[in-house]
Amino acid sequence: MSTREGIITYADISQRTEEGRAGSVTSAQTVAVLSMLMLSVIVLSVLIFSNQSLRLDEAQSLWQTSRDPIAMFRIIAQDVHVPLYHIMLHYWQQFIGNSVAAARMMSMVFFILLIPAVYITGKRAYSSSVGLFAAVLVAASPFLNWYGNEIRMYSLFALMTVLNQYFFIRIFMDRPSVRLASEKTADVKGHIWLGYILTSVIGMFTHYFFAFNVIAQIIFFVAYRRHFPKPAMKAFLMIALLGVILFVPWLYYVYHLGAAANTQPALSEPTSIDIFNTFSQFLFGFQNDQTNTILLSLWPLVVLLIFLSLRRNQKIEPQTAYLFVSLVMPILLALMISEAWKPIYLTRYLILSLPSLYLLISWVLSTYPERLAFFLRTALVSIMIVTMAVEAVSAATPVKEDYRDASYYLESRAKPTDVIVLSAPFTIYPFEYYYRGAASVETLPLWDQYAAGPIPRFSPAELKSDAAKIEDSHQTLWLLLSYDQGYEKQVKAYFDTHFQKTDEAHFSSGIDLYAYRLRYDNTSLKAALKSISGPQPSGQKGTLG
Amino acid sequence: MRAAKSYVLMTQSQTQKDDRKDFLATGTSRSAIIINGALAAIYFFAILFFFKRGDMTMFWILIAGEVFHLWQLFTYLYTVWDTRYMPHFDPTCEPAVDIFVTVCGEPVEIVEQTVRAIKGLDYSSFRVYILNDGYVANKPGWQDIESMAARLGVDCITRKAPGGAKAGNINNGLRLTASPLVAVFDADHVPHRDFLKKTVGYFGDPKMGFVQSPQFYKNHAKNAVTAGAWEQQALFFGAICMGKNRLNAATMCGTNMVIRRSALEEVGGICEESIAEDFVTGMFIHQRGWKSCYVPEVLAEGLAPEDFLSYTKQQFRWARGSLDVLFRYNFLFKRGLSGAQKIQYLSSVSYFLSGFVVLMNAAIPLVFFFFGVTPLQISTMLLAAIFLPYIFLTIYVLQSSTNYSYSFRSLAFSMAGFNIHISAMLAGIMGKKSSFSVTSKKQLSGNFANLVMPHFGYVTLCLVGLAVAITRDGLSASVMSNAAWAILNASVFGQYAAAAMPERAIKAAPSFSRTSRKETARSAVTS
Repeated sequence: MSTREGIITYADISQRTEEGRAGSVTSAQTVAVLSMLMLSVIVLSVLIFSNQSLRLDEAQSLWQTSRDPIAMFRIIAQDVHVPLYHIMLHYWQQFIGNSVAAARMMSMVFFILLIPAVYITGKRAYSSSVGLFAAVLVAASPFLNWYGNEIRMYSLFALMTVLNQYFFIRIFMDRPSVRLASEKTADVKGHIWLGYILTSVIGMFTHYFFAFNVIAQIIFFVAYRRHFPKPAMKAFLMIALLGVILFVPWLYYVYHLGAAANTQPALSEPTSIDIFNTFSQFLFGFQNDQTNTILLSLWPLVVLLIFLSLRRNQKIEPQTAYLFVSLVMPILLALMISEAWKPIYLTRYLILSLPSLYLLISWVLSTYPERLAFFLRTALVSIMIVTMAVEAVSAATPVKEDYRDASYYLESRAKPTDVIVLSAPFTIYPFEYYYRGAASVETLPLWDQYAAGPIPRFSPAELKSDAAKIEDSHQTLWLLLSYDQGYEKQVKAYFDTHFQKTDEAHFSSGIDLYAYRLRYDNTSLKAALKSISGPQPSGQKGTLG
Repeated sequence: MRAAKSYVLMTQSQTQKDDRKDFLATGTSRSAIIINGALAAIYFFAILFFFKRGDMTMFWILIAGEVFHLWQLFTYLYTVWDTRYMPHFDPTCEPAVDIFVTVCGEPVEIVEQTVRAIKGLDYSSFRVYILNDGYVANKPGWQDIESMAARLGVDCITRKAPGGAKAGNINNGLRLTASPLVAVFDADHVPHRDFLKKTVGYFGDPKMGFVQSPQFYKNHAKNAVTAGAWEQQALFFGAICMGKNRLNAATMCGTNMVIRRSALEEVGGICEESIAEDFVTGMFIHQRGWKSCYVPEVLAEGLAPEDFLSYTKQQFRWARGSLDVLFRYNFLFKRGLSGAQKIQYLSSVSYFLSGFVVLMNAAIPLVFFFFGVTPLQISTMLLAAIFLPYIFLTIYVLQSSTNYSYSFRSLAFSMAGFNIHISAMLAGIMGKKSSFSVTSKKQLSGNFANLVMPHFGYVTLCLVGLAVAITRDGLSASVMSNAAWAILNASVFGQYAAAAMPERAIKAAPSFSRTSRKETARSAVTS
């Protein structure tokens, strides 16, 4: 019996209780299962996710991290993120290579580490089996597999959040029992505090939303203060002071540089649907509208699951309360800030809530009678795997951004006398990554990405003059519309009413291409038309207008 | 090592569960109660005023159900607002007590166990009377009770003139005895040694009319029926009864209680006109200005019905008796009861109206499946956004206020007993006479699936209806949402129906066996 100098912690009791249960797993089995889970996400990555087209955000990451560190700091400060991930990616690329696959590999490493991280958190909070099933959910998660293969900071963000939560949970679960705490001083070891400090600092510089994790911890600490060792208050204040000292220079730098550079997509105000979409995406990934509607319409089953969780003596322990707060609070805060200030609600920013959701689901299922729990676990994982497969292979997956095919399509069709116009302007990043054609590339509104300053805002009054500048002496204008910033319809309507549409093609959801004939006085027109009417690449839905 | 060992012992006592105490360790945060009430009100007013209405008949059926739910929730929150109040206890108060053991055909060994325990009570002055109704009820072996009484040296009063069922039996005993206090035990309710020591002291207040203690079922872990029966009781005898103390509205439950003779005589003895004789008598005593007290400690242990038929009969009798009070006694407009007491009595009896509400709610998905009409025409997610926080917090408050004694099974037994409650209500409305029957103390064997035919019928209708709806609308949001509600109802009914199956009756109740495994593990840790 692990009585550290005669002291038993709640965590010990919880673990021993678990060990006493029939069907608990051995350490060797745990390691084997975790290894298989990690291997499975690698296989999925190699076979499916890493082969997808570069997306806008990823292209931005690659472009930003291709600068020297000083320039990179400036660009990121003007963007909506904190710099740690980009710095790591910058040096990762120097050592591993600067291909898309290499850059995605870094996110994959964090995702792989997330699996054991969730396991140890679940084990510490509840039991080995709860941790293990939560780890299964992580590996089977369509959402995490998506972001575990994206050149963005989200898998690192999720990892840092989980590790930080692990150390936080240990701070209040490793303390001796309430009565003993009055007799002895705290027994939370130094490395726990060190781990908490490190993950806090890394988390802060990984994503601004990490602040929501801190706020959730503050709320929990205030409500459950008696569960913490006596010196915790002092320690937390010191850590907060350290955080302020480290973070204020960055905030000053951001403030000093001025407003963000309009490189971020415009967000709409969140509604109740967005909240449920968040949960749906957390569990079932990104599905088309019809599938998503079916999944969301089944919400009364949540009521049934709540009813089923009514078990005698199944109390809500502090760790459950903490995980609940850390699940709900970021979502509520994002909603409130979106309502009070400006829209900031994006499901991927809320990835910090996801591990808590999986841990809570795993815990709730562990409280059910064994046969029911087995059935529900199997059903949940099966549905997640199916929805992940759909997410991976379906062209209708909403988050897919097939700039690669759009670029190849244009490469094979656009002539040197043509012009390609991209709107929104920042979509030039993923497009340019693939496009090697001869036609010139412009954006609407007009924007020089290499010039300092923000992207010009769209003005309906300037649309005509901007279009006139682009038309110049070009033969055909290829309008590639994606990432609607609220003016896509106006742009398309302008070209529809002023020029003859000769072609259109649709790639992944929201990426639409239209060709317009600009001139009739050039002999190259015949050649261009001949080229357009030639065979199309397979898999495209292009139609000759 | 010594420190470690003492800690181990402390941990063991901290973590071990005691079914006799857990349900009484009530208490929840008042802020949770307030937020719960607010969320319920928001939900109700949103569906009443702000959402687009669908079919008007369905809409008003939904609203009627929600009004009832709101009433139940608010009276519950009001009751459990403070569960710590206790009247003054005078340890020097020790008047003489006549102890009645009501018997009507129960096995001698069960009665003997109760009488032996009563004889061993730690109290200065009491006399034991077995009130034997076996003769008038024509029960075989009624003489055996008299022999047993003689053997144990206690008085046995065997009625020869019938009438009034259990109430008549007690009243007959009252006429033949004289002590200022009367304690009543059902034949199977074995008191703890300190029963009188822990209850009589409250009669130090001259206005104290009766003192009630919990009706604990010691056989609760025997099977799914006993577990379900007890878990329902635990909610009532836990937070609800403790909250009633503050409002001077304790419920008289017919056993494990002590009554002041003068209070009882003032109301003409135990009411013989109702099959809920205890409940009505308690109300009459309150009406005359007497006080009441509920002692939140298990001081006697009885037996739950062990088979589905006995359980159903018991529930029918309780429902019939309580609804009788609602229909016949018109207590809301009678003088004597305070406003809080009226609310409490109305809350108690209206519980048995829930059968209709459960049926109405269960019918909503069916009506949609077959006729395509809904009570509301709104985004199902909007409904979810206001309903889920409300139901989630309600469950939390329910659990925390009962010290996590409530279970899915008790919910299922409460909801799925709708057919019993409706039958009782119809019997009450039609004035059909229902006789008092003693709950069987022995498990009856057999298949009681016929008692859950309405539930099987519901599931069948859901399956057929779902096929109709999918054929008509495809996999629309409304079809999926109503299908999910139907699954919820079917799952709740399924848990209840399973208890009626013969093979389920002999199985140990899952949540108890689960608890005991935990306890075994904990014991292993701490030994």
